Amino acid sequence: MINEEKVILMTKLASYETQEGKRDISIINYFRGDYISFQVLKSVIAATLSFLALFAVYIFYNFEKLMQDIYKMDLLEFGKNVVILYLCTVGAYGAISYVLYASRYGRAKKNLKNYYGNLRKLAGMYDK
Amino acid sequence: MTTLLVAKQYIRNFIHKYEIYLKPLMKLILALMAMMMINGQIGYMNRLDNISIVLIIALMCSFMPMNFIIFVAAAFTVLHLYALSLECAAVVLVLFLVMFLLYFRFSPKDTLVVLLTPICFVLNIPYVIPLAMGLLGTPASAISVGCGVIISYLTGYISDNATTLSSIDAEDIVTRFRFIIDGFLNNRDMLFIIAAFAATIIIVYLIRRMSIDHAWTVAIIAGALADVMILLVSDLMFDTNVSIVGMIVGTVISVLIAKVIEFFTFHVDYSRTEKVQFEDDEYYYYVKAIPKITVAAPSKTVKRINSSKRKSSGAQPRR
Repeated sequence: MINEEKVILMTKLASYETQEGKRDISIINYFRGDYISFQVLKSVIAATLSFLALFAVYIFYNFEKLMQDIYKMDLLEFGKNVVILYLCTVGAYGAISYVLYASRYGRAKKNLKNYYGNLRKLAGMYDK
Repeated sequence: MTTLLVAKQYIRNFIHKYEIYLKPLMKLILALMAMMMINGQIGYMNRLDNISIVLIIALMCSFMPMNFIIFVAAAFTVLHLYALSLECAAVVLVLFLVMFLLYFRFSPKDTLVVLLTPICFVLNIPYVIPLAMGLLGTPASAISVGCGVIISYLTGYISDNATTLSSIDAEDIVTRFRFIIDGFLNNRDMLFIIAAFAATIIIVYLIRRMSIDHAWTVAIIAGALADVMILLVSDLMFDTNVSIVGMIVGTVISVLIAKVIEFFTFHVDYSRTEKVQFEDDEYYYYVKAIPKITVAAPSKTVKRINSSKRKSSGAQPRR
């Protein structure tokens, strides 16, 4: 006689293992703080590279104007503005990635908790 | 309807059976289409505009992960533009870099849209992309579709103005650079298309998640109408260069394609819909259960009436 409940449970477990389970386990291998800080660090590096690329485009676009005004303009002020803009961009992007990866970690932990709970339930069914 | 469902079942069985061959084949076709379209539109580098090279790379793509095709298409685009002018290549490279570093780190599954959007633009059915992404994706897909629109408009702008670009003095790098950036940033058509597509994705997504009968069909039609309306209003107000007949024909074809997508991804029978209520210690549950339709494909069985022994003995049928 087929135990329908057991079949449903096993199907759920197998589908989780083959799909999200792999990713969740790779996330949970880290401690929460380590995982999030590593991902945020990667985000900061990505944001820095993107900012540098866009800044280079801006400089090149306004090259003639900048060359003309280079002795007239307050370079310190300009540099300060650029640094502030950089910090704002990287800060905002870092904050978004913190929230995103924190929620991903939380979701992975919850999913795995459910998964282990279901595994125990399944083991209990075999013990009966 | 039953015939369609049987056909769906046949196709599903076929795909399950031959998935191992079909997946690389689809990748091969996609890579071939992408590279041939890039070569057709901006084929400035003669070495790459060669069918044997395209075939070899497409074959390579068929065994690699899906994102490799995107990488190859991006590399193809940058190399072709490098042959036209260094500045074009630099601008497109920066654009790709920013897109991949900032957005596609978060959602690597969406990268395919960036490839499909320019392909659909070339085929004159770009309106199918927001409908499909609204049905299959999330509102965040609007960003990916926006990236795809930006790439197709940028490459289109460069290919339209290739002669002007080459006529600008090669020494005058800054003028060329400004010409590309100005033309790209002042392109109002592109901005309206991005806005219309984003609105369409959000409308389709919101409606298809509503608990109403025929939610997907309503979502497709509402999304298509919203898309057309936004583009028409922008055309009237700001005189953008949108071809109205092309847009309407493209939208009708896109709606049909979206219906096909709906049919193959999600088909449910509303006549047997059940609403059940139950409770546990924490919550009350009000569940709407919608059964999926599955029709067993009729299998042919050959029944032999005459045995070979009787046949050989020369038994004649009675008249």
